[in-house]
Amino acid sequence: MKLPVFFKNRMTEFSLSVIFVIGFLALVLTSNGVFLSRASLQGFLTYLAVPIAIGLAQMVVLCIGQMNLAVGTMGGVSCAIMAVLMADHNLPIWLAIFIGLFSATAMGAINGALVVLTQLNGFIITLGTYTILLGFQYRLVKTFTIDKYPSSLPEFGKRNILGFPYILVIAIITAILLSLFFSRTIIGRRVLATGGNPLAARLSGVSNNRSIFIAHTLSGLLIGVASVITIASLPGINRSIGGDWLLASFAAPIIGGVLMSGGTIAIYGTVIAAGVVRLVDIARAQYSLDPSIVSLSVGVVTLSTVALSEWRRRRTERQNEGMKELI
Amino acid sequence: MSNQLLISKVSKAFPGVQALNEVNLNLTSGTVHALLGENGAGKSTLIKIITGVYLADSGSLKVEGVEKSFHNPIESTHSGIAVVHQERNLIPEFSVEENITLHNPPLKLGIIDRKERTRLAKQALETLGFEIDLTERVKNLSVAQMQLVEIAKALVTNAKIILLDEPTASITGSETSKLFDVIKRLKSQGTAILFVSHKLEEVYEICDTVTVLRDGVSVLESMPLADYKQGEIVDLMVGRHLAERKAETRRVDRNATPVIELKNLQTSLGHRNISLSLYPGEVLGMYGLVGAGRSELARSILGLHAITGGEILVNGSVVKIRNFTEALHKYRIGYVTENRKEEGLFLDFPVRKNISVTILAKILQRLSVINPKKEDDIATKYVDRLGIKVVDNNQLALTLSGGNQQKVSVSKWLAAETKILIIDEPTVGVDVRTKASFHELITELANEGLSIILISSDLAEMVAVADRILVMRRYEFVGDLDNSKDYQSMSRSIMNSIQAS
Repeated sequence: MKLPVFFKNRMTEFSLSVIFVIGFLALVLTSNGVFLSRASLQGFLTYLAVPIAIGLAQMVVLCIGQMNLAVGTMGGVSCAIMAVLMADHNLPIWLAIFIGLFSATAMGAINGALVVLTQLNGFIITLGTYTILLGFQYRLVKTFTIDKYPSSLPEFGKRNILGFPYILVIAIITAILLSLFFSRTIIGRRVLATGGNPLAARLSGVSNNRSIFIAHTLSGLLIGVASVITIASLPGINRSIGGDWLLASFAAPIIGGVLMSGGTIAIYGTVIAAGVVRLVDIARAQYSLDPSIVSLSVGVVTLSTVALSEWRRRRTERQNEGMKELI
Repeated sequence: MSNQLLISKVSKAFPGVQALNEVNLNLTSGTVHALLGENGAGKSTLIKIITGVYLADSGSLKVEGVEKSFHNPIESTHSGIAVVHQERNLIPEFSVEENITLHNPPLKLGIIDRKERTRLAKQALETLGFEIDLTERVKNLSVAQMQLVEIAKALVTNAKIILLDEPTASITGSETSKLFDVIKRLKSQGTAILFVSHKLEEVYEICDTVTVLRDGVSVLESMPLADYKQGEIVDLMVGRHLAERKAETRRVDRNATPVIELKNLQTSLGHRNISLSLYPGEVLGMYGLVGAGRSELARSILGLHAITGGEILVNGSVVKIRNFTEALHKYRIGYVTENRKEEGLFLDFPVRKNISVTILAKILQRLSVINPKKEDDIATKYVDRLGIKVVDNNQLALTLSGGNQQKVSVSKWLAAETKILIIDEPTVGVDVRTKASFHELITELANEGLSIILISSDLAEMVAVADRILVMRRYEFVGDLDNSKDYQSMSRSIMNSIQAS
């Protein structure tokens, strides 16, 4: 079988696309077409936007071989900032959104700067900032639900174009821009080079510190996008926002084919994997499955895709082993 | 003296390379046997067969007269074979005694018997005549001490055959003589020792018999070392054919301003009085053994280690190079690393991206976006020019052979239009033919005006390619020789300058 050019070197993404299509068709058929109704399709697509955005936010940090454990609280805090500014200080929506994006980006930049300055792994740094930001989030939101802001924002979240919610379109455009960033800009290429092989990158005139800083900052910006999507798709903001983001942010890129060791990105993979996970969610609602089944199947899918890609990688390496071992 | 290890007609092939071709070796107890050969001659492969990492394609291997075939290192260890690798296999956080008894810790009721462990470790160290605190963590030991711990580890497994792979590569002279005392002691106790080294003087000091490998063939098989002069051994190692092929000397204008000049340079690593001048279009060889400080000098020039004295001049003016980025973009100096897989390549990236990493700013189109067409064209240009064998420019670097990988890692510097290229051990682990084509490439590049510093511990390569040869030993230059391209006389002069120092 000859694969389309797009899927060359992208076996994981190809398999996921097949799984997605099969899963989608299965849902349509078993629901006698109810899944295709406007309401349920809307539900499916609307709540796909956030997993895509946070998956991408985690992916840019994974691509330098690090992790961002603070995705959830960074998102929670920037949502809280936007909500408080609009509800308590009557700031216009556009300004609140701008400040929300900016504050998430700044949090990412702080993570990056701390990693570079301390030369500690991002895991440790973001574990620290996670806790600090959690404190901020609780302080900002307290135990209330903030919803006294102009209703035009939640209404925007319900609008759609040709059946696609605007907020999903925002997530997809973000993904496309990100893919251009990595394939077609100098900075993006250098970030990838750092992730692929920091030693070789240094010898090739790439500043690894700069790459690390940029990756974390970009992660912050993407979390900002996820926060804007969140605030537009929910009726109000409370302290639980972001609480369930962390695992979802890892699931999408890792199922999508991103290696934990760095150097790889899989934007299409992350998007489609988020779609597959979402399908599992829908299936649970559709067939009233036990939530444990959902966790179980997402876990199995994650493990098996990672194992499969690792196995393929080893096989390729073994084929070249003879040459290497001669040294 | 009994035959401990008898290897006859052992062959091993890898895709594209016959690594060993009917190799014979006879190791008897109570002798130290030298296994010599250039890089890539097949020594490592042979050692890996003896230690069970590889299975030979054909031939036989006998230990104490019994036919064996090892499928994994454990089987080899059980037959009384121990290997002390160049890269040490110790666990840094464990104590000396824990490391020594690592393979086979003494047990009592299923848990480790600490008294017995101490006794075994002490006994092994006493055999070596070596005293050390048994509870010290290995990470706190010196390199030489770690090596002795490795040997002690071999002894507790009751090894009758010990393979020492480049044991002196990273230890000092006085530590070496201590190690040799240990080897002599083991020898008198009847242990058979296979000694792999690049340092011929040491080989003559300690070894009794010798086997020389060249291109996978044992060209000298288990002969008494005393019957051969050093020069004869070198000839056997490199083969006349390689040495005699390149005879023409190149003309270099030494009145021009040097493209790079070092004046009495000192580094934080310990280089002293380093002076050199590289002229336009020259190939300046930097010869020395592993650990002489050549790569370290290159990396210091490029800003990785601190310069503590002296001056660097690029095109006649004093400069301060802070890092590789500056070296590349400001002074146009490139560095082809010896560890191509670890430092030279992005293995998971396609060839195209490996080549373009140094020139991203030059392949932009509108909006500062990379133009994939330009990127592909540049990659194609160097793939064609260097004859890199690829399916297309999107092939992953990981899937290329060693020689082609090396060419890719050179390409990125050529694409960046560097004026000075420091090439570090370019042909380690590549086969003879690729080696020759690489030598031609270096000469060609120099003819086109590129100035090259070639770092190599391969004498034949030095003589074949360099215009002038600087000899480094222990972080100092001990020789500066015009290359007559006559292998015999050059190898003698180089050896002399090393020994005279």
